[in-house]
Amino acid sequence: MNNVSKVYGSNTALTDINVHIQPGEFVFVVGPSGAGKSTFIKLCFREVLPSSGSIFVNGCDVIKMEPKEIPFMRRQLGIIFQDYRLLPDRTVYENVAFAMEVIETPHRKIKRRVLNVLDLVGLRRRADSFPGELSGGEQQRIAIARAIVNDPLLVIADEPTGNLDPETSWDIMEIFKEINDSGTTIVMATHDKEIVDGMGKRVLAIEKGRIVRDEQHGGYGYEL
Amino acid sequence: MSFSTKEYFVRETYKSVRRNGFMSAACISTVAVSLLILGLFLLLSLNTNNLAQYLESQVQISVYMEDSCTADELKATEATLKKLPGVVKVTAISREEAKKRFEERLGDQKQLLNALGESNPFPASFDVQVDSPERIKELTPKIGELAKVETAKFGREVVEQLFSLSRIIRFGGLILVFFLAMGTLFIISNTIRLTVFARRKEVTIMKYVGATDWFIRWPFLLEGMTLGFLGAVVASFFLDSVYGAMLGRIHSTLAFLPMLPATPLLYYVTVFLLLIGVGIGALGSYISLRKFLRV
Repeated sequence: MNNVSKVYGSNTALTDINVHIQPGEFVFVVGPSGAGKSTFIKLCFREVLPSSGSIFVNGCDVIKMEPKEIPFMRRQLGIIFQDYRLLPDRTVYENVAFAMEVIETPHRKIKRRVLNVLDLVGLRRRADSFPGELSGGEQQRIAIARAIVNDPLLVIADEPTGNLDPETSWDIMEIFKEINDSGTTIVMATHDKEIVDGMGKRVLAIEKGRIVRDEQHGGYGYEL
Repeated sequence: MSFSTKEYFVRETYKSVRRNGFMSAACISTVAVSLLILGLFLLLSLNTNNLAQYLESQVQISVYMEDSCTADELKATEATLKKLPGVVKVTAISREEAKKRFEERLGDQKQLLNALGESNPFPASFDVQVDSPERIKELTPKIGELAKVETAKFGREVVEQLFSLSRIIRFGGLILVFFLAMGTLFIISNTIRLTVFARRKEVTIMKYVGATDWFIRWPFLLEGMTLGFLGAVVASFFLDSVYGAMLGRIHSTLAFLPMLPATPLLYYVTVFLLLIGVGIGALGSYISLRKFLRV
């Protein structure tokens, strides 16, 4: 991101953001509520466009991109939300397979790959359950499975542990670590001090729309 | 497009139509009623047109001679008429024959003619048949100018009234059909809007994992097209039975009315209705999708 600013009406969400994230990095984005973390995350997958500046994701110019190219850019991304966003009327297996179906993956590839990622998040045995029958931590693991099933280069997570208790959060982080170890870049917005401190990864702190801190092995840095 | 993808589209469409059973049924009926009315107007207009054309091809020019003309002059006129371009047949009607025909037409009230005594007010005349309707307009004034011809005329009024009736039906039908089409469009796009709304979560997720707009659109378009198609099928079915029954009635009571036969007319009308139904369905879905796809 170069000189990126985002203005919503009369509110300035981000000002003059310059960040470069290398492939394979694990980056936490921290900051108080309303500081611009979510906007930062949304800019990464072109949910919103910046008011000025330029953004490159996996080498693609997100701003100059034509609308019909957006889907193909997003196929290189895995996106995870605080509220999981699973489809309640589909089983765990179908939820994950859905991500492959809609980008027109052939049937025979889908089954093997889905079972593989369910193994990775440790939920293969729940493949036929519905999301409503699972705990929050399990649902988030399904959401992670869905995000990585198409082998993204970059995983973007917006408060993935926001709704989970500390122990479950650590289980989730273990999975993220594994994904990161296999070479996938991860950008995660979070409020979770313990996790940020415990992981010792790069930390970007955003306050009032500006980056106030960028440490290679940082801590959360805020007192709760 | 791969096989799994097509299968996915069909599966999604089927699921969605079933899930919204009541709305789908209501939508199909509305489409059916609109298309039925469209079909009826189409048949009515085609038949009036056909009737007008038929009558036009039947008309002949009646040529009335002056009372003073002699038998030789009649012969000469007949020969002249026969030589005119486009004339197929000339039937001569003498003064006596004209009187006899009139007597026959009067039937029971024949005695009215007794008042005339021995005098015969009817002129000698010729019925001239020509090869095409266009010829009539061109020949009639020409014939009127021949020597010893009193007047020449043809049944212009009836034909022209029929043509204008057919025009009115077509025009009125067009306006009605336009409003019905707008209504149908609205109903279909509303039905699809409900489906899309029920599935907006899915649509959002599809956008996030990188489904293309067309991939997201297809199941909804198919749903709209299916609704339109089914409506058209119902409409065609009713139209076929109505027209069949009507033809039966007309043949037994008004046999002289030339109606267009059911085949192949109904095939064309059915295909037309199906195309309109599917087209309106697709358009309706497309309209209601525009808003939701901007994620």
